[in-house]
Amino acid sequence: FLMLFFEEAKLIESLVNMSTRERIKAIQKMPEAMEKKREIRNKVLKEITVKSRRYRNQCDCCAQCLQRMAVLYRRFRNSLSEYFHLLQLWQRTLKVIGGKFGTGVLSYFIFLKWLLTFNVFSFLINFSFITIPQFVAAQPNNLSFTGLELFTGTGYFQETVLYYGFYTNSTIRKTENGASYNMQLAYIFTVGIYFIICLLSLVFSMAKSFRRNFINPQTYSGHASKLLCAWDFNITNEKAVKLKQKNLSTQIKEALSEVNREVLNFSLKEKFVHAVIHLAAWVASLGTTVAACAGVYFLSINNLELFMKKHKDDLEGQAAMLVLPIIASLLNAFIPFFYSWLGLLEKFQNPRHLVYVTITRNIILKISIIGILCYYWLNIVSASESQCWETLVGQDIYRLVLVDFIFCLLGCFFGEFVRRIIGTKVCVNLGMPEFDIARNVLDLIYAQTLTWIGIFFSPLLPGIQMITFSIVFYVKKVSLMMNCQPPHKVWRAAQMTTLFIFLLFFPSLVGALSVIAVTIWRLKPSKECGPFRGLSTMYTAISVWIDILKNYSGSKWVVWIYQNLFQGALFFFILSTILLIITYLYWQIIEGRKTMVKLLRKQIVN
Amino acid sequence: MGNKQTIFTPEQLDAYQDCTFFTRKEILRLFYRYRDLAPQLVPLDYTDKPDVTLPYELIGSMPELKDNPFRQRIAEVFSEDGEGNMTLDDFLDMFSVMSEMAPRDLKAYYAFKIYDFNNDDYICKSDLEKTVNKLTQNELTPEEVNLACNKVIDEADLDNDGKLSLEDFQHMIIRAPDFL
Repeated sequence: FLMLFFEEAKLIESLVNMSTRERIKAIQKMPEAMEKKREIRNKVLKEITVKSRRYRNQCDCCAQCLQRMAVLYRRFRNSLSEYFHLLQLWQRTLKVIGGKFGTGVLSYFIFLKWLLTFNVFSFLINFSFITIPQFVAAQPNNLSFTGLELFTGTGYFQETVLYYGFYTNSTIRKTENGASYNMQLAYIFTVGIYFIICLLSLVFSMAKSFRRNFINPQTYSGHASKLLCAWDFNITNEKAVKLKQKNLSTQIKEALSEVNREVLNFSLKEKFVHAVIHLAAWVASLGTTVAACAGVYFLSINNLELFMKKHKDDLEGQAAMLVLPIIASLLNAFIPFFYSWLGLLEKFQNPRHLVYVTITRNIILKISIIGILCYYWLNIVSASESQCWETLVGQDIYRLVLVDFIFCLLGCFFGEFVRRIIGTKVCVNLGMPEFDIARNVLDLIYAQTLTWIGIFFSPLLPGIQMITFSIVFYVKKVSLMMNCQPPHKVWRAAQMTTLFIFLLFFPSLVGALSVIAVTIWRLKPSKECGPFRGLSTMYTAISVWIDILKNYSGSKWVVWIYQNLFQGALFFFILSTILLIITYLYWQIIEGRKTMVKLLRKQIVN
Repeated sequence: MGNKQTIFTPEQLDAYQDCTFFTRKEILRLFYRYRDLAPQLVPLDYTDKPDVTLPYELIGSMPELKDNPFRQRIAEVFSEDGEGNMTLDDFLDMFSVMSEMAPRDLKAYYAFKIYDFNNDDYICKSDLEKTVNKLTQNELTPEEVNLACNKVIDEADLDNDGKLSLEDFQHMIIRAPDFL
């Protein structure tokens, strides 16, 4: 009993010495009953007042005042955090979804919400820094508005702030000798800073997720963890609970039967046959991708000819512009079914490999289609004789985004609603459909990649994507509740989320950045429209600015940074070397820790 | 921020906010949930700290818990008397630990206690068997249950005493990123 008393005294002592925030966190984390925690908290607070009173004996009212102020300040911060919670969108909906369908499906909706914040942020800064100044220097719009513009993005919209071509290249001045606003610099810097923030936030999320979910110094994901850590305490729905129980029992049965059966040694002939089947499946999937890309390429060249040949003011011409996006979306919608069928043909030993291989094939398809479109835009459209090629590219992306959104809604309708009707009324063996998490997330990544590429050519595109993502959220939620059943298979939500964040970073954001980098550094902007008209490359705007800055003595440091860091090759060489050295050191540290863990484990067992 | 409510004194609310992961509004909302289970037993005025306990049957009928196979153990672990009859403090404690703001170590600690059916601070083989049965709703044969429990103890028991201690359990949780 005395020991407990001493321990408690030590605990109170350590709590007294912490700052208020740390102390509250420490008390919240204590694994004790509420009464005990309250007791300890009251003792700690008494100790603190005693201590502070001892040090402030001369100014008693002052001490009371300060304490009262501290308490009021804490209450104020608490209520502020309550209001901050109100801003969290859709919290209740997410809880309901998690309760009925489990964390796998919930991870899709959380991913959607996260992408939505990227778009909201981009829209806000583009609107404030680029569009609002443009309104001051706007030119009148002489075109008429017909309803078709919403789908094709041309016509009336061409002369609005939606596209790059409308923005002025002048330095906007409200009054003579007043403050000036250089539109060229604003355009480059706004887009540049947005992408830097995106990059940093993605790298940070990826690292945090990776560290949490992939620490595995030893392959310890054994059956024990499957049993004791597998119960999803989020589930509150009876059907979901029963399904999860059945799921777990199937898993345990499978695991046990593996133990009993001896490892089947595949004969050499069977291994060879398996390898051939895998190879054939890969050849088929890559072949389909190449065929799809070729189709898209020829169609887009055709599109450009159509545009250059006749002025597309008639209905037929405008409708013909929609053919390319529709074909691209159709390919994206139907080829994944082919890949799933291929996956069923090859019999994978580990079902998780099937999921990974299917995701890889799908992402290769989507990125190839976007890649071929970028090649077409950057090489062919930019060299064409059209008046304003950047606006053309912006319109293409607008149409792609819109048609993709419509296909998403259609896919939801047919894939889930009609499938449920079929599954319950016509062919009862099929049952209700399950929510296909991987495909939906890849669709989101595709849409976001298009948006990121399109930000430079159409600054308000994130606003449109914001609206589409919100609509998709509600439609998917309603469809999920009405039509789907909770998933049968295990979906390791944490690890798959890490994979999806990585896919968002690596092909998606890095690809978009490379496209924009090529646009800024290499391509010649059109002569008659946009903020960079008349320059040889868009980058010269910055060089010109640096030249101007050289004349001001106060900004010499900017010039110095520019000349040494951005133009000097030596800087990048040194930076790369330092990074390589740090990586090597960390790798060695990890190896050392692995050995340490092994040694310690042996010690415990013995 | 106005102190319009008269259920708790401001000091009580501050204490609750410090000891759980909830904000003031959430604490009041939980109080109303607690009261809704038995309006005639729970007074609207907690300033004099009344001693009110709700029986397990009422707690177990809450929509969040009623389908959970472990609801009885959860109520037992968090209740003061160990039988599942909860006071308001126990109620708030339970929801605080199960909320998404609680850190994983805290949840692991309580998960261990939930799976420890005989309350001896170790998960022995009989505890494991009961856990497996609850997890699979008696879909496995007793032999399969036996085999599964043996495998779990083989893998997770580091100090080889035939049962899992808290450290063994926490060691396993760190490597299971899907633990909720």
